Amino acid sequence: MNRLPFLDRRSLIKTAASGAAAALVLPSLSRPSWADETALSVFSPLPPDPAPPGAAKFSEEAFAAWQKANSAKVTYDMVAWPQLHDKMATAFASGEHVWDVVYMSGWVPELAKFLVPFAKNLPKELIDDLPKSSFSTVTWDGQSSGVVFTLSLLTLFYNTELLQKAGFTAPPKTWDELKNVAKECTRDGNYGWVLNYGDPAGIGGTASYWMCFLQQAGGKLYNEDGSPAFNSDAGILALQMMMDLMPYSDPGSISYVGINDATNVMTAGKAAMMMNWPFMWKPANDPASSKIVGKLAGALLPAGPAGSASIDGTDAWTITKTSKNPELATKLIEFYLDKDVQKRQAIDTGWLPIRLSVLSDPDVQKALPNAAVVLEQANHPYDSYVTPDYNEVTVALGTEINKALAGKSSAKDAIAEAANLVAAIVKKRG
Amino acid sequence: MAEATRALPLGTGHRTRHARVAPLFLAPALIVLALLLAYPVLYSIWLSLTDASLSAGQLDTPFSGLDNYRQLIGDKSVSAALLNTLYFTVVEVIGVVVLGLLTALLLNHPMASWSGFRVFLLLPWAIAPVANAVLWKWIYHSNYGILNSLLLQLGLIDQNVTWLGDPFRALNMVLLVDIWKSTPFIAILFLAALQNIPKTLYRAARVDGASTFEAFRFITLPSLNTAIAIAVILQTIWSLRVFDLIFVLTKGGPADGTVVMNFLAYRVTFNFLKFGYGAALANVIFLASLLLSIIYVRLMNPGAPRGR
Repeated sequence: MNRLPFLDRRSLIKTAASGAAAALVLPSLSRPSWADETALSVFSPLPPDPAPPGAAKFSEEAFAAWQKANSAKVTYDMVAWPQLHDKMATAFASGEHVWDVVYMSGWVPELAKFLVPFAKNLPKELIDDLPKSSFSTVTWDGQSSGVVFTLSLLTLFYNTELLQKAGFTAPPKTWDELKNVAKECTRDGNYGWVLNYGDPAGIGGTASYWMCFLQQAGGKLYNEDGSPAFNSDAGILALQMMMDLMPYSDPGSISYVGINDATNVMTAGKAAMMMNWPFMWKPANDPASSKIVGKLAGALLPAGPAGSASIDGTDAWTITKTSKNPELATKLIEFYLDKDVQKRQAIDTGWLPIRLSVLSDPDVQKALPNAAVVLEQANHPYDSYVTPDYNEVTVALGTEINKALAGKSSAKDAIAEAANLVAAIVKKRG
Repeated sequence: MAEATRALPLGTGHRTRHARVAPLFLAPALIVLALLLAYPVLYSIWLSLTDASLSAGQLDTPFSGLDNYRQLIGDKSVSAALLNTLYFTVVEVIGVVVLGLLTALLLNHPMASWSGFRVFLLLPWAIAPVANAVLWKWIYHSNYGILNSLLLQLGLIDQNVTWLGDPFRALNMVLLVDIWKSTPFIAILFLAALQNIPKTLYRAARVDGASTFEAFRFITLPSLNTAIAIAVILQTIWSLRVFDLIFVLTKGGPADGTVVMNFLAYRVTFNFLKFGYGAALANVIFLASLLLSIIYVRLMNPGAPRGR
């Protein structure tokens, strides 16, 4: 039986081998341009939380140009802000993380051993343009492993219309004024004050809000030796102030688990005042989502016995030790902190720049009138007291504060119990 | 007799050959089970015997013996979470079983034979857990929630209630959502069991002059014994696993009022990064679930001969 010559087994094997060889060789002869690019992976929050160019809608052209100029391909792994810490911790624990650049918010001390202390390598011109205090929350054991990219301090936001209706033309400047304004604004189904006290943990949790009042009362969280210092008149006074505001607060405050829950009440025109991060300015002035467009104003947090004080959101970029391209990752962070990028970040997203020169830029000041307020707030204390066990400390503190706010314990008892719990945590810290 | 005597060695041979071949056929499934179940369980047990923490850029696991289990005993947050879990489980199981049974009895009535009822019934059960939690977050919202609006219109309350604002009330509101979500499955389970009860029993009872309640008491309930036991076991296991609702609705608050064991294990492990202690907590829940599962499996095979 005659067979076709190209269908015998030997020919088929030869053809297959030639094909395989060609498949291996050809791609190297005609490699696509992306094959020469260096891949960088960035772990970031989803907008509207502070996300970088390419993840949020700003400086997109500049970002594309930077990637081209540096032969880099940046990919983003984004999750909602509340899931950031836990996903990051799980990835670090498993050793399976693949990120070069990672967003942090007060977690640098906790995860410092996974991070490159790269901040000292940043250009002097850049470091000189950043507030010195911005490095305090990204420094642990003398090593700066991050750089804050937005000046995010809590300040007072108030609804000018509701204050005027209650007979006030200026925001409260002291605790007594705050209580009085909150009381007078609690009418016609509106509340004087709103905040989210539902989740005790972390920055933006119940404990962190109390830390503002604590510093305003002249107190501090820790002594020099690391032991709790807040079981004091200042600590009790701070909590009592929060409790005194409760009758004039949206009762839902005790159950709201995120800042957006409280922000929504404010932008619906149901609350007269709240403390919030600078991002609030944009959504509150967006007619699509807000009923208080043009009615929002900002002010310093009212002063307690020791003056005004706040806490720092500590939104920072860090580089992981497993990054194969730490130099390029550093360059990317420098790009995120470029003056033009910082300016667009502020104007397009509402997240303020950290660079002092951009903060004082007239365009930024005009677009975001609250920038000047935040800058002024930065002249007052704003310690967030971050430590490697920050979550555990804030859960212990926040839970006791919550009990007092819910009327289940007195300020004195809650602070005493919290001090015992935190002392035990600090003892384990060693 | 002679044939029977000859058949015995043949049968024994078959069984011997089966005994030799069976492990080979079972091997793939056993390997998959070992990888997917045994390894994580054993690793979790190992982890619970260490003081695992993130240090020096990796997960460090220094052996600490039973320290984590000893610490569980004196930990106030564990005892509070345990109490919450017990309360949550007991009330949920009672609520779901009673409501499930009532729903099944209604659906078993000839007037409820339209299949649409069953479809609507299954909706709460079919909604994704997180979507369900978000839905209820809005229903319970103190300012805009439909629950307040409805109760105000009915005149049952005179001002908005902060449903998730008080620790104990919040626990009960979370409980209510979980009962709402879990009841449909249990109702369908009971409905299937109800439909297996011979109608002749009811006819005979009626002839004997039994009332509706007596028919329920002496025919329906005894016939549902196994179904009720299965429902109790399954629902207990599911109640021990509750997490998503709490994570979305309350994050364990206010004042830790809704922290149950499962949520505490998550918090300790992923918020506090105490992997060893978190594993010990998880293993306690695992042990409770395992015991219940064993009872469940035995109930599912009531007729299985012993000793096989």
